[in-house]
Amino acid sequence: MEPVEIIALATSLLLLGFVIELVRRKKLTEEYSFVWIGCALALLGVTLERRALDRVALALGIYYPPAALLLVLIFFVFVASVSFSVVVSRQRQQIERLIEDAALLEARVRELGHS
Amino acid sequence: MRVLVLIPAFNEAESLPAVIAELRGTLPTVDILVVDDGSTDATPAVLAPLGVRWVRLSQRLGTGAAVRTGLRYANARGYDVVVRIDGDGQHPAHEIQRVLGPILDGSADAVLGSRYAKSAAATPPGLRRVSHRLLGALLSVLTGRAVTDPRSGLWVFGPHALRLLVEHHPSGYPEPELVLFLSRNHLRFTEVAVRMRERFAGRTSLTPQRTGAALVRLLLLLVVVPLRAAVGTK
Repeated sequence: MEPVEIIALATSLLLLGFVIELVRRKKLTEEYSFVWIGCALALLGVTLERRALDRVALALGIYYPPAALLLVLIFFVFVASVSFSVVVSRQRQQIERLIEDAALLEARVRELGHS
Repeated sequence: MRVLVLIPAFNEAESLPAVIAELRGTLPTVDILVVDDGSTDATPAVLAPLGVRWVRLSQRLGTGAAVRTGLRYANARGYDVVVRIDGDGQHPAHEIQRVLGPILDGSADAVLGSRYAKSAAATPPGLRRVSHRLLGALLSVLTGRAVTDPRSGLWVFGPHALRLLVEHHPSGYPEPELVLFLSRNHLRFTEVAVRMRERFAGRTSLTPQRTGAALVRLLLLLVVVPLRAAVGTK
């Protein structure tokens, strides 16, 4: 095994372990961990099976296989970013709703106190 | 029909007392609700002495969410009609009766008070008027109905519109999206010509940056809203 392969293998295992540890400590909920576990497994897959990367690169017409690896990583980061934007948007709507609910309840309590 | 006048307000402490006094003088029997959109001036302090109903949002959520909060308040208390006016005095109280007309006679679900419709005096200065007209023309094409003043803050919602908008009133600067929403959901809306005037005091919250951001958002909504599923029909 070449040094670069060892480094890549260690990095992907570290990333996988880090994500699982975050889930174990409940710092990251399972729902949002899947995209990162997917990233780590994809990295692990191309590290262990470099010929697969070469085949993918060839199929895509990429003559420098590491560029295909970069493409795969960019794709996963893109998917992760979009999924987080969805999460942020949903949470924003939920926060708006909560602030509205709190204001309406506060008005209700005040009006009941006056009546 | 039970009518509630809804005033979304952000930093309108200077204008609100005069706006409320004018409303009481013109429409003494209607209830008035002010939704304070997280104001940072003396608005919260002036509300209680005014003797109106009020709801205070702890954070600034924008006009759309403030209106939605007011609609939820109205719906929970059994109001049939909600008149939405600005808190800066731009909308003369005597115009409300005219804008209420199509709701009371059952010919519309929502009514927009327009500065530019026939017989109304156009008040805003040149560039703003041109941008309003362009946007109005675009919305007219998309909805197939005449829309001349898509940024007007004078609206009346009847019972059917109220029921739908309680859950679906748009956020942010909501008016153009509201027009698209009403059209998408087959609600009958119409325009009534009104005369507006300059605000009593204070400054508009529409900075050039906010206007730009709202415009970019609107361009996206022009494409997206007609593609959304309808949320309810009569």
